[in-house]
Amino acid sequence: MLLAENLFIERQGKLVLDDVSLSLSAGEVVGVLGANGAGKSTLLAMLAGELAPQRGRVSVDGTPLDRLDNAHLARQRAVLPQSPSLSFNLGVCEVVAMGAYPFPELSTFDVEQLMIRALALADVSHLAGRRYPQLSGGEAQRVQFARVLVQVLAARQSRGGRFLLLDEPTASLDPKHQQALLACARQLARDERIGVLVILHDVNLAAAWCDRLALLAQGKLVGCGDPASVLTPATLAAVYGVEAEVIPHPRDSNRPLVLFN
Amino acid sequence: MSSVTSPLSSPLPAASKTSRWRTPAGVLGLLSALLIALMLLSASSGALHIPLTELPGLLFSASGPDETLWRSVLIDVRLPRVLFAALAGAALALSGAAMQALFRNPLAEPGLIGISAGGALGAVGAIVLGGGSFLVLAPSAFVGSLVATVAAYHLGRRYPGMAGLLLAGVAINAICGALVGLFTYLADDNQLRSLTFWNMGSLAGASWPLLAGLAPWTLVVGALIARDWRAMNALLLGEREALHLGFPLKAVRRRLILLTALLVGPLVAATGAIGFVGLVVPHLVRLALGADHRWLLPTSVVAGAIALTLADWLARIAVIPAELPIGIVTSLVGGPFFLWLLAQRRH
Amino acid sequence: MKQRLALLLAAVAAFFTLSVSAAPAAPQRVVALGGPLTEIVYALGAGNRLIGVDQSSTYPEAARALPKVGYYRAFSLEGVVALKPDLVLASDQAGPPQALEQLRRLGLRVIVLPSAPTLDALEQRMHGVAAALGLRNDGRAMVIELRKQVDALAARQVGPTRALLLINRSGNPEGAGFDTSADAMLRLAGYRNVLAKQKGYKPLSLEGIAALKPDLIVTSTASLAASGGLDALLARPGIATTPAAQQRRVIVMDDLLLLGYGPRLPQALRELKAAPAVASR
Repeated sequence: MLLAENLFIERQGKLVLDDVSLSLSAGEVVGVLGANGAGKSTLLAMLAGELAPQRGRVSVDGTPLDRLDNAHLARQRAVLPQSPSLSFNLGVCEVVAMGAYPFPELSTFDVEQLMIRALALADVSHLAGRRYPQLSGGEAQRVQFARVLVQVLAARQSRGGRFLLLDEPTASLDPKHQQALLACARQLARDERIGVLVILHDVNLAAAWCDRLALLAQGKLVGCGDPASVLTPATLAAVYGVEAEVIPHPRDSNRPLVLFN
Repeated sequence: MSSVTSPLSSPLPAASKTSRWRTPAGVLGLLSALLIALMLLSASSGALHIPLTELPGLLFSASGPDETLWRSVLIDVRLPRVLFAALAGAALALSGAAMQALFRNPLAEPGLIGISAGGALGAVGAIVLGGGSFLVLAPSAFVGSLVATVAAYHLGRRYPGMAGLLLAGVAINAICGALVGLFTYLADDNQLRSLTFWNMGSLAGASWPLLAGLAPWTLVVGALIARDWRAMNALLLGEREALHLGFPLKAVRRRLILLTALLVGPLVAATGAIGFVGLVVPHLVRLALGADHRWLLPTSVVAGAIALTLADWLARIAVIPAELPIGIVTSLVGGPFFLWLLAQRRH
Repeated sequence: MKQRLALLLAAVAAFFTLSVSAAPAAPQRVVALGGPLTEIVYALGAGNRLIGVDQSSTYPEAARALPKVGYYRAFSLEGVVALKPDLVLASDQAGPPQALEQLRRLGLRVIVLPSAPTLDALEQRMHGVAAALGLRNDGRAMVIELRKQVDALAARQVGPTRALLLINRSGNPEGAGFDTSADAMLRLAGYRNVLAKQKGYKPLSLEGIAALKPDLIVTSTASLAASGGLDALLARPGIATTPAAQQRRVIVMDDLLLLGYGPRLPQALRELKAAPAVASR
């Protein structure tokens, strides 16, 4: 379990995260929602071990992150940051294969198998022969997704939980690929017992694919739980500052549908 | 990643649609063969005419006065110089590739973090204050480059990312440049001329004792740099991505900078300033092969060796019996070639 | 007829004595690294033995036709070896540093001579070159002649004329301070260098020059060309107001003659001392 307890961080006098606690267990998909600047990416950076909280702690299976070195951590969790900025001339396969770097013990054959699977899961098998800089924004995003899939799939090697942290992975994708990516993430969570945390802006997309949602507003957690109980007009007003109406989804009454006015 | 993408062993499509020799391994093999041919050509030509048929035999023995002279020129003058050119070119290109990865910028080169400027300051200081014998000049240049690099690193590391190092490097370069200017102002006529020649670079100092010291050093430090090829690839993705893939960024950065200074410092000390190779060779290789450091590093090493061997050969045969300073040749030949290549890419 | 016979005999005898005294040791294939050394070889009448020189050897005219092995500070090792010399005459500023040592290791005879701009060093150069060429006596005669001429010239006082020596290599004229061959030359000629307090060649402070008021300006042919000619030089602010410029008291000499400290030193001194009342263009 990836566990964040009472995280607190302040930057230039501004509270970025204030007493935020969140857990991510094997097999579940947790969505993080919040307005711009609510602290979503900071939370993700702390869960990734990239940024240390000023107060509070983050632990993996009971071990605090600051006691794990980078190489070790990379064998348990993969991170897809927002808007990757690769401009060098690498092939798609070369980028995807980097996901296996934390696992030098894997044979070339093993890496190949992982890559084939990841490329298919991210729906980019047809791009395997292309150069990365020539891809469109959405294609590049999916290739990067394939890379973190390789990493998290290879992590089966290591003992303990596996975690996949995705920062707005659907930002430059068309609706079909948004659905496909989140479906893939959920399938992996179920099949491979991976804990997936995903930052999203589309509330309904989050409601459709996430088991639990965490709502952040001005650095505070204003709600955390299953979509139906968390997505209420009150919490949505607190998070986004706009009026919203929540109705049951016409196709699946267990699922809420949010309509912003 | 040729094994990963090879069409025989996996259902993945081939990364390259072109013929077999365009694969990274093919290019590397081809360039290695070219390097060996070029080194042979360079060793067999020069101001002193040695008949080609005599060359192999001369390596082992010589009889008669002519042959004795040929043999000593071949063994004591040309061979160390050819090997030194290849070694220096390889090291300059490797360090350039490492810096470009570290700064995530194709325009980076070792000079960016003060290595060349510090070396120049050390050399100029030795010439003006210390009489300028080679025994003082070389260590002084090496110390200068190391101190400048370490200073740039320490001053720059307080800022996040590479921006701090870059800015500190710019400042160190400016300070070293100003001090060189000051020394130049203080220099007398003879010292000024020595300075000029140091700045143009020269491989004329090549000798077996120098090679015996520099070659093992360069090979070991070069190998240590090349060992980080995965980290360099990861850095291309981004600094955060490299961190997520398990590379301790600060340690990698410190290691690569120190190793680069240790690799290039002694060379700068022994040859003076030879520009262009470190900047352009990795760039050319990247244009041809892509940026995967698994192939970029070894190919840059070979291509750098080719570039400097070629430049040295031209420098030695262009104006027989005199020779041109090699720094001039690298820039004069490399510059237009590079421009031509860039123009080709447009179409 | 008798006279002719006597002449012939004398010539034959001379030929034999020369060849006997010179044959075993005297080198016949000489490379000179340094313009002044080349000049001395020619002055000793041994110019035909030179097979290669460096790029600073621009005098006499014949030297320009010889193969060049690079500038003496960065000469080509293999270029020298390829000429197969039996003697290499090198200035102590010749380089690169290890190259002379390597020449020796290849079995070549290398004679290194001092390059300092002093009369003593010049005499050592003459003696050294002559001895290396097997012309010891000619060298001695040359030095005696040099001393005689220099002494005679030194006796002719020119008065305490304040002189400025300008060198221009890059477009901006530089003045010669102490520790330069130019300064040594001025003092040998009996002039007072107005820049005697600065060291080396330094860019001119035009205001300073105006304040120092030199009576005479000395410069070299190449420097004058780089300054854009005599009129352009004298019209420069700071220089234009000096007595030297206003009276057009300017001496222009060939670079190697003025600064080389070679065997033409007496000629150089003579030209320097013949300070013109009004310079011609």
